[in-house]
Amino acid sequence: MGLVEIATGKVLTSFSVFLFLTVLLLVVARRISTCIVLFSAQSAIIAAEVFATGFQERLAEAYVVGALVLVIKVAVIPRAFFGLANRLKTSHDVKASTTPTQSVFIAAAMIYLSYAAVHSYGQSVHVPEDALAAAVALILTGSFLMVSRNKALMQMLGLLVLENGIFLAALTTTFGMPLIIEIGVFFDILIGLLLMGIFTFRIRDTFDHLDVSKLRRLRG
Amino acid sequence: MKFAINLAQALILILGAPLVRGIIARCKAFLQRRQGASIWRPYSDLAKLFRKEDLVPSTASGVFRVVPCVLFGTTICVATFVPLVQPSALLGSRGDFFLLVYLLALGRFFLSLAGFDGGSAFGGMGASREALVSSLAEAPFLLSLVAVAVLSSHADIAGIAAWTLGQNIFNISAVHILAFTSLAMVVIAETGRMPVDNPTTHLELTMIHEGMVLEYSGPSLAFIEWASAVKLHAMLALLIALFGPWGMATSASVGAISVALLLYSAKVALLIVLLAVIESGVAKLRMYLVPDFLGVASAVSALAVIFTTLVKR
Amino acid sequence: MQLVSIKIGFVFLLVSLGLFAPLVLMAGKAKTVRLFAISLVVGSNIVGCFVASQCFWRESGAVIDLSRFTLFPFALGIDRLSALFLLVICTVAVPVSIFALSYFEKHYDDQRRRWVWAFFSLFLLSMVIVVTASTGFAFLIGWELMTLLSAGLILIEGDSAERGHNVFIYLLMMHAGAAAVIAGFFLFLPYSPGLDFVSMRTASGALPTGIRTLIFVLAFLGFGTKAGIIPLHIWLPRAHPIAPSPVSALMSGVMLKTAVYGFARFAFDLLGGGPWWCGYAVLSVGAVSALLGILYAIAENDLKRLLAYSSVENIGIIFMGLGTSLIFLAHHAPVWAGLALAGALLHVFNHALFKSLLFLGAGAISSATHTVNLEELGGLQRRMPFTGATLLVACCSIAGLPLFNGFVSEWLIFRSFLGGAVLMNTRAPIVLLLMVGVLALIGGLAAACFVKVFGVAFLGRPRSEAAEHAEESPFAMRTGLGLLAAACLWIGIAPGFFLRPLVSLVQVLVPGAGVPQETLSIARVIPWTAAIILGVTIIVALLKRRERVVRTWACGLPGLTSRMQYTSTVFSKPIRFVFSSVYKPDRKIERLPEDQPYFPVNVTYHSVRTTSYEKTIYRPFVEMILSWAHQLRRLQTGNIQVYLLYIFLAIVSLLAVLRFQP
Repeated sequence: MGLVEIATGKVLTSFSVFLFLTVLLLVVARRISTCIVLFSAQSAIIAAEVFATGFQERLAEAYVVGALVLVIKVAVIPRAFFGLANRLKTSHDVKASTTPTQSVFIAAAMIYLSYAAVHSYGQSVHVPEDALAAAVALILTGSFLMVSRNKALMQMLGLLVLENGIFLAALTTTFGMPLIIEIGVFFDILIGLLLMGIFTFRIRDTFDHLDVSKLRRLRG
Repeated sequence: MKFAINLAQALILILGAPLVRGIIARCKAFLQRRQGASIWRPYSDLAKLFRKEDLVPSTASGVFRVVPCVLFGTTICVATFVPLVQPSALLGSRGDFFLLVYLLALGRFFLSLAGFDGGSAFGGMGASREALVSSLAEAPFLLSLVAVAVLSSHADIAGIAAWTLGQNIFNISAVHILAFTSLAMVVIAETGRMPVDNPTTHLELTMIHEGMVLEYSGPSLAFIEWASAVKLHAMLALLIALFGPWGMATSASVGAISVALLLYSAKVALLIVLLAVIESGVAKLRMYLVPDFLGVASAVSALAVIFTTLVKR
Repeated sequence: MQLVSIKIGFVFLLVSLGLFAPLVLMAGKAKTVRLFAISLVVGSNIVGCFVASQCFWRESGAVIDLSRFTLFPFALGIDRLSALFLLVICTVAVPVSIFALSYFEKHYDDQRRRWVWAFFSLFLLSMVIVVTASTGFAFLIGWELMTLLSAGLILIEGDSAERGHNVFIYLLMMHAGAAAVIAGFFLFLPYSPGLDFVSMRTASGALPTGIRTLIFVLAFLGFGTKAGIIPLHIWLPRAHPIAPSPVSALMSGVMLKTAVYGFARFAFDLLGGGPWWCGYAVLSVGAVSALLGILYAIAENDLKRLLAYSSVENIGIIFMGLGTSLIFLAHHAPVWAGLALAGALLHVFNHALFKSLLFLGAGAISSATHTVNLEELGGLQRRMPFTGATLLVACCSIAGLPLFNGFVSEWLIFRSFLGGAVLMNTRAPIVLLLMVGVLALIGGLAAACFVKVFGVAFLGRPRSEAAEHAEESPFAMRTGLGLLAAACLWIGIAPGFFLRPLVSLVQVLVPGAGVPQETLSIARVIPWTAAIILGVTIIVALLKRRERVVRTWACGLPGLTSRMQYTSTVFSKPIRFVFSSVYKPDRKIERLPEDQPYFPVNVTYHSVRTTSYEKTIYRPFVEMILSWAHQLRRLQTGNIQVYLLYIFLAIVSLLAVLRFQP
């Protein structure tokens, strides 16, 4: 069992590195399918972290939560997204409003900002700094994706990344939420996605495109 | 003894460079379901070029004739900086990475001048594009090396390799991952591989390096081709020495050295296969997308530098 | 004995530059007399080199105190910092004067030549006074003389309206800067008994923080105007290109350095470091200047304007080094402060050498082809091989390539940035480490720019008749060029002899500094790299077979013309495209005749770069001052009784003040 312990130790200390890598790749990616794959990779890393925490802290609930994350966020949701993208028959392009260079510099600034923010907080509370900084970075990245990508699908994906970040933040600060709340949150997500999917079809049917920068009627 | 091994390292880098090129070409052929040429083909190419005559354009001046010498000289000098089988090299502990980067810049400067000297449009075009790529690639090159140097508190390549050798291979370091990514992108740009430049092209649309050397022939061309092969080999060896030096011999015994040599060959082979896969898998970037490519490399290397301050807290 | 000889040499330098040479030049009409005067100029500069090097290498000094004879305290003294800058002046002046011998002969008639030489000699004297002044008044007198004499040298060339306008802007900016410097000096007065440097230095300890900050800011702005940092640089690309080339060489190579001297003197010597944020301010202004300077330089086709912008870039690099040093001083890391300062000062010397070489080369080109527009040059290397070789050395030096002197100073500055890693608990590390990337970008762009300069001007085919019939420069010009190129190579390959006294100078300015030992390793490794490269070059040259000259392959066309080559505009296009947010070009394409758009007879492409510091910064400022002046005009009513009323009111208020004085 020594190997498993070593592996869990390594996972716990270094998973934030891989999350930062997914953040960088997400802001650079130019295709929707790449973004979906990166999202599922991100969720897989978070699931691994949940399992590792469960193994170390000997919490049985963590295994259930980890399994839920794995099933829902790594398998079901990306599948649904791929299906949605295929049925919508939109182009593969992400329609970014910033060039890759600007996006990566913004991502670098966001990562630095999240570390700076966590540093002052993390000194008073005993919390793993890297994990919390990764969580904040995910939140910022999700918001950035929603703001700077003009496709409706990317808004949904941004929201999912944001939720990943919040989930991770809750995980690291409280060492796991009670199971009931986790399941509740998951159901919220599922319903939300269902609604967003339906709305995307309606948008496409009404306007014949999915470019949110052209949806300007929301004025007073 | 150490000196002899260092000398042997430099000679392996220089003499084994065409072989590296040959293996990459063979891998790419395999991926494209062709037979491909033999891996020793670049050597016979060089021999053929040495037998030929040196043709010089009528507009060429002394600069044209001196460029192959300077380019070859600087590249050989760079090859003496990089450790292969032991964490030291001929100039590896005296010269730091700034000197290495700027020696490469010296070679490139003269090569760009050679592009002008032919008096044709291709040369100027190659020089102009090379000016764009190289001026934007310097920053990520230096920043990623700075990130690794700050962590290891050494500025010479041999020192950084020795420090990394002493680290645990299973400790994942964000700085090293980010620095490796950006340095790999810079290596692709500097050595003129896909997706920045196509090394096997003779179409004007896709030329950078080829454009500048278009007017050369005979032994001059042989030295220039050999120099660019040595540069590729040296950069691959640099990547290995900085980011994956485990296996290098710490004692001067024959056994340790041969094991180190085998491991080095395996690592280079891995990098070569990776390079061939990337080259076969992506299309060449449009010229004005290359600044984006290098901009991403700059941002990643800047992030690596920022992370060094976060790690050492 | 040595001290006496140094003093005699110094006096000789001053007197011959100031008195003998101009008098002889103006008075004597015979050619031999003039030749004697010119060799007096050259000779006194050689003596100056000797004096400066003695003081620099051996820590001696010389003091000349004329306070008894003058109204204000006027004293000159050579301490180590002055010695370095005196060395800069004299080392550059010798080759430039030798070059000017031939250049002025070609370009001016007899009458003008006398004036030019007289002003030239006085100009050198003024710069010597500035760097060796040890009282405030001596410094300011030299400062003013420098400005006026350089303006005079520009005007000797001609006085068209445009030239007059450029000189006007030059004088305006210089006097604005001088006003700031004077204010900086005078702010010391309440705390220091006199304006000599010794008492100012001792008084600086007692200065309150607010005054100290104010003096620092005034010194930075005043000397920055003279040095040409952005956005105070607008006079540089106007003034430097229109001066005769040897004078441009002196202005760019040496006069800008006197501003750096003034700033270094204030910031390090007299004030002993400024407030905690000063280093960051200087560093960021330097970085912005350097980056924008080289970007503007790349876009230029006029060689002299390109070189002027490149001077802005190098001054930016020098200020980056000075700013880094101030940051380390504020964080109490004197070792690294010393390293950064050494890099900045060495770059001062190197820049003086290679920038003067470049301007002299531009002068040689304009003598041979009567143009400095890169679009009309080409193929000069085959027609002027020696000039081309020396300019190649200069281009490699300014690009910061190893084996040439530019690399050594940039290396020192890079290593000082690395030292930021030791300041872990402050904001410094990230700023300094990221500056490595900024300086790398600047260096890469500089290399690209000078590939363009040398490639377009010297290689390929000539693009105009004038370039085709160019001839090699005369002997005097070649001597001047060769001396400077040899100096660049010497410092590039064997910098150790210069680094050691520089380190001791730095230890005087930054107390407690000792340069980290491994950083002087550069002096040990460069000779090895030079040997390897040279050895390989020789082997390769021997291995090459005999060559055959053929025509360039033209893809089956009858032949290549010079129009088919890459031009300077096209070469810089990719870089201008990537950085288009800096340039903001204004483009216009005209097709003639207008009513036949598909069959044009003539297509004109017009592109203007609107880098308008004038529009965004200066014009609003000027408008504001003009509107204030307009308001003040109301006082001038023209009515004599109102003016008498003003006098009456002044007397009344004086009496009131007297009444309420305790």
